[in-house]
Amino acid sequence: MTPNPIGSKVEQLAQALAERIVPLIVDAIDIDALLDKVDVEKIIERVDVEKIIDRVDVEKIIDRVDVQKIIDRVDINAIVDEIDIDKLVEQTELGSIIARSTTGVLTEVLDVIRAQGVGLDDFILRWGNRLIGRGKRIAKWPDGPPLLVERSVVAS
Amino acid sequence: MTTVPVPSTELTVGRQGHYAGAVSRLVAFAADVGASWGVYAVGVLLVNAALKLVTGHSYSFGQDKILSFVTLAVWDFVYFAYQWAVSGKTLGMAILGLQVVTREGGSISVRQAAIRTIALGICLLTLGIAFLGIVFQRERRALNDFMAGTAVVYDWDARAARLRWMARNQGPLRRGAEKKTPAS
Repeated sequence: MTPNPIGSKVEQLAQALAERIVPLIVDAIDIDALLDKVDVEKIIERVDVEKIIDRVDVEKIIDRVDVQKIIDRVDINAIVDEIDIDKLVEQTELGSIIARSTTGVLTEVLDVIRAQGVGLDDFILRWGNRLIGRGKRIAKWPDGPPLLVERSVVAS
Repeated sequence: MTTVPVPSTELTVGRQGHYAGAVSRLVAFAADVGASWGVYAVGVLLVNAALKLVTGHSYSFGQDKILSFVTLAVWDFVYFAYQWAVSGKTLGMAILGLQVVTREGGSISVRQAAIRTIALGICLLTLGIAFLGIVFQRERRALNDFMAGTAVVYDWDARAARLRWMARNQGPLRRGAEKKTPAS
C-alpha cells in the first residue's frame, strides 16, 4: 500500500504551524496571574493525605535502608573531636548534671588537693632544675612511661 | 562565698599516666605513715587489752624497744608491700591519685612490690638523698624505684575533675544560683 502524499503534507503543515503558534501562546500567558487564580488551600483540602499515607509501605522503605552502611560512613571520632567539652559544660545543663551526680564533699576536697599537688610538683621540678642550670633540658624529658603516654595520646 | 579558680587545662586534663612529682608523692607518703602508724597504735592497744584480759597482767609493747621496732617494721612492710602488690597504690597514694607502675607503665608484680618496700626503708636511711631523683631524674624515679624497676604516675581522672570544677565554678549550676539571688 502506497502512502497518501496529500495526508503527509497536511501533517507536516500542521507540525510547522504548531511549532510556531505554541511558543507565541505560551509567551502570551501570564503564569503569575494564572497561579493567583488557583486556590491552593482548596486543592490541599481535596487531597486525602491519609489515603496517600496508607498506600505508602513504610516498612518496605525501612527494610531497603542499610542503616549499618550509614553508620559506617559517619566518622564518630571526628564528630567527638569537634565537640568543645569545656564550652558544652559552660553552656548546657551538662555541667550541673555532672556536678549533681559526681560531686560530694570528699570528691571536691580530693580534686583540690590533687590539683594543688600537681601545680606544686611542676613548680618544684621547674625551679629545682633551674637552680642547677638544667631548666631548659626538662622540656625534653618524657611525660610518662611509654605504655601510658602512648595510650593517652591515642585516646586524645 | 569564695570559689577556687578552675585549674588550667595543662595542669589537669591529660596528666593521667604522667610521672608524678615530689610534692604529691611526699604528701601521699606522709598520709601513709600516719595511716599505718595509726592502725599500728590501735592494734597495739587491742593486743594489750586482750593480753590483760587473758593473763590478768598489763603488758606494754613500749617496754621492749626491740620487739616494738621489729613489729612496727614488719607491719609497715605488710602495709606498703601488700597494697602495692594488690593495686599498685597505697591509701595515701589513692588519696593523691598516684599509682606505682613498671618502668614501661604496666602493673607491678608482687616481687617488685616487696623489693620496693624494702628499698624504701633503705632510702629513708639516706635522709632524703635517695629521693632526689624525683626532682632531678628524667623519669622522676627515686632510688627505690630504680631498685624495683618501677615509676610513679598520676592516676586520677583529671578530665572528670576539671569538668566537675567547671560545673561548680562556672557552669549553669552557679549561674542559676546567681540568677536566683535578688538584684541588689
